[in-house]
Amino acid sequence: MPGVEQIDIIAGADRNVKESISQNLLIKREHLISSFLDKREQAFTDKLSLLIDDYFRESYENSQVGLALGMIKNPYAIVALGGYGRREQCIGSDIDILFLFKDSVPREAEALIQEIVYPLWDAGFDVGHSTRSVKECIRMAGDDIETLMAILDGRFICGMSNLFVQVMEHLRRKVIRSRSGKIISLIVEDINGRHDRFGDASYLLEPNLKEGKGGLRDYHTMLWIARVKSDLRQPRDLEYLGYVSEKEFEALEDSVSYLHAVRNRLHHLAGRKCDQLYMEYQKEIADVITIVKKDGKQPVELFLGELHGHMACIKQQHQVFLSEMGFLKLQKKGRGILGKRSGVSGIIVTKRNMLDFVSLEAVLKNPELMIRIFEESLRLSIPISAPAKRVIKELDYLISGQFRNDPSIVNIFEKILLTVSSDYNVLNEMMNTGFLTQFIPELKGIQNLIQYNSYHIYPVDKHSLKTVETAKKLGMKANGHALFHELYHELEDRRILLWACLLHDIGKSLPSKNHAESGMIQARNILERFAYPKAFVATVSFLVGEHLYLIKTATRRDIQDEETVISVARRISNIDQLKMLYMLTVADAMATGEKAWNDWTASLVRDLFLKVLKILKTGELATPEATEIIARKKNELLSLRGINASGPEFSDSFEVMTPRYLLYVEAKDINAHIGLYSKLGDKPFVLDVEKDESSNTRIVTICAKNRNGLFSMIAGGFTLNSLDILDAQVFTWRNGIAIDVFHVTPPKDKIFEDENWQKTENRLLDILSDKINLAEKLKDRILKGKEEKRHTSKRPLRVNVDNDSSSFYTIIEVFAYDYPGLLFSVTHELFKHGIDIHMAKIATKIDQVVDIFYVRNFSGDKIESREETDRIKSDILNILETK
Amino acid sequence: MRKIEAIIKPFKLDEVKEKLNEIGIKGMTVVEVKGYGRQKGHKEIYRGAEYQVDFIPKIKLEIVVAAEMVEKVIETIANAANSGKIGDGKIFVLPVEQAVRVRTGERGTEAI
Repeated sequence: MPGVEQIDIIAGADRNVKESISQNLLIKREHLISSFLDKREQAFTDKLSLLIDDYFRESYENSQVGLALGMIKNPYAIVALGGYGRREQCIGSDIDILFLFKDSVPREAEALIQEIVYPLWDAGFDVGHSTRSVKECIRMAGDDIETLMAILDGRFICGMSNLFVQVMEHLRRKVIRSRSGKIISLIVEDINGRHDRFGDASYLLEPNLKEGKGGLRDYHTMLWIARVKSDLRQPRDLEYLGYVSEKEFEALEDSVSYLHAVRNRLHHLAGRKCDQLYMEYQKEIADVITIVKKDGKQPVELFLGELHGHMACIKQQHQVFLSEMGFLKLQKKGRGILGKRSGVSGIIVTKRNMLDFVSLEAVLKNPELMIRIFEESLRLSIPISAPAKRVIKELDYLISGQFRNDPSIVNIFEKILLTVSSDYNVLNEMMNTGFLTQFIPELKGIQNLIQYNSYHIYPVDKHSLKTVETAKKLGMKANGHALFHELYHELEDRRILLWACLLHDIGKSLPSKNHAESGMIQARNILERFAYPKAFVATVSFLVGEHLYLIKTATRRDIQDEETVISVARRISNIDQLKMLYMLTVADAMATGEKAWNDWTASLVRDLFLKVLKILKTGELATPEATEIIARKKNELLSLRGINASGPEFSDSFEVMTPRYLLYVEAKDINAHIGLYSKLGDKPFVLDVEKDESSNTRIVTICAKNRNGLFSMIAGGFTLNSLDILDAQVFTWRNGIAIDVFHVTPPKDKIFEDENWQKTENRLLDILSDKINLAEKLKDRILKGKEEKRHTSKRPLRVNVDNDSSSFYTIIEVFAYDYPGLLFSVTHELFKHGIDIHMAKIATKIDQVVDIFYVRNFSGDKIESREETDRIKSDILNILETK
Repeated sequence: MRKIEAIIKPFKLDEVKEKLNEIGIKGMTVVEVKGYGRQKGHKEIYRGAEYQVDFIPKIKLEIVVAAEMVEKVIETIANAANSGKIGDGKIFVLPVEQAVRVRTGERGTEAI
């Protein structure tokens, strides 16, 4: 008998023969691969496995070591394991084989490995091999579940076949039969762990084709479990053993082979075993698999949609498979199975605690059962059985116009839309069974539609359903979204919001660029078909049309500018719509993916929302009346000025006018102001005096470049010239121009009035050129004036500092008894406190004044500090005292 | 080489990017940040609940340029990002010791 050394020599001498066998394999493999890549090969994984089989058979036949071992003395078999055993060998996969010996592993086994396996390594293959005796094999399989599964996938290639049969028989009879329950539990545990790690591939953007939910492993575990439970020998047995229907098996096989095709291309592109479909590979694969551009969508978007569809199929089948085994959570936290009853005749709760129809006929007679089963699923919190789901799919033609128009059915749908699902997301199930796309056919257009960017991680249909769920979840529990929670509970009709959540992206099914707009129209059609009232339809379609508006505005426009907020308020126009739009925005963004919604964006949007809300609440600025008034004034102005509305001059002037100015000032006066402004040029101010015929007072309009303390200077100037200010309105345009309009008492000297006004103007010029110290000059006069007007005040003096009514200005109100120079004193005080007056309204009634100032500090902020506001209050009160 | 860090208001990003593009700056890094300075946070109240914004959302831009470009870049950013109101932001200039382009290994100003 040859010694080990001699065997080595023999093995070495035959290396050439071995090399040529492995070279042969390489060549044939290359041919097969290029045939596959050219799409000329349908059964690639099968054929590749067989090629490798050929290699082993040839090696075995030509084996010198084997010859030396002798078939009688030390028989052995070569067995394919794992994916190779299942005949699913992929380009990058390992080759997993077992050298199975009868009694014990001989020393020569090492040489045998060198002879047969080494050439494969040299040729660049990844080979995983083990050598075991039958006994060892059985023992290890009994101890370790992964080994057990690998061997269960085993396939005899060549050698002594009965060795393999022995092992398999033993495992089946002794190991599996006695512990099938435990084994299956372990497999399921493993599945859950895997799913947790790799996620739900059926809608991720870079799915893991093997390990994710809906991936190949899910298919494998189905085979394993069926093998353990029912001794499945080939995949088709899934059907023959009754686990799936014929149609289902075909769909499953179709999806698995699609996945294999993608996986192999991926291995080929990556040049290694890679199962995660990274974005960089997707386009190339898509261009080969899905060539045609359809509906304005790129091949890569269609490809991903297709891929996800197949993975969703596998995932579905897998879940149904497991739940029929009794492995999906059936009840919450171990509460009793018994006691759940269906409240609907025609629907029953099965022994496995799932919902099913009494019979096919029952559904045919009463199609309403198809939606009622979803209702029961929601109510009882239990899943719908696979047979029931099959029925729904088969009978989907019953979901016709009549069905859809039935108001009681729409009611049931609403219930489902409104209720938070605890364990079973009923809406998702409606989608998966095809019910939802029959009920609302427009949804077909967004089914599995991928949005190809790193922003969206879910396809449009899943995202829409997720938006609905998110809105409900945020609304039900505070969870750190206190504002949302609050608003949700204030909603009068939640259906409006939830319909908007469901339909907000429906426009994406159309090739138009503006999906919000096209979605609006589709939403309207859908709801009108369901016979919702006009107002309802209008609001939902408004929300759909505007669902991007808040987030766009918050990030692209200056929300610290009152103008921005007012224009938003006008566009949204009512508080309920605003609240719902905010909630839709938040739910939509959260359901898109982390990149779309983070604390940074959230705070911007919330800030905008609260500001708009305030404007609408305290609102005269954004009411529909306000909008109308301003539109009317625009037209009036046009006719007064006789300019073309599209002329740049006009629109420029209009641009700079603030909303308050436009609201409070008459069109003819605006016209006059524009005229006055055109005379300003480089001068510090221009002044115009008009006689008010009705009251014999004078209206003095001053247009000036705004500066800190301007108002107090003008007020002081008037007092210096003994002009009593009766009323005043102060506005600031956006270009920094102040328009101050004063009603003053007529001068005592009527004859030389014009000269007096000229004097006043000159005085003002001096004041504004800082040539006069007003405070000094007016001190005595004011003191004297105060004494003359001393009162036993019946009503208390009051100064109010309001920081709540406006998001943009601090509002200071002063109620006091008038005295000459009061206005100057008050405004001068404000100036000393570093306060800039944006707008003011001054009114006197006999001997009392009411002054309202909209102010900010010199840096442009509101005056929010409590200390500061208290100080202002007390300082002003001091001046007001006439005692 | 210098690194220019600019804190600007979020809605000014597009404008600044455009203007920088016009003077030949074709790349930059952008980060969403929060902060405060003289523009203090403010609060809004809704139904008795205070929503305090202490840290105001801003955008931080980072650009590395040759020393000669610094003044031009500062001017461009300052003009584009200016709204005249408080909170317009700040620009800082820092020295850069080395720059490398990963793909080609180029160093120094070639890599910018």
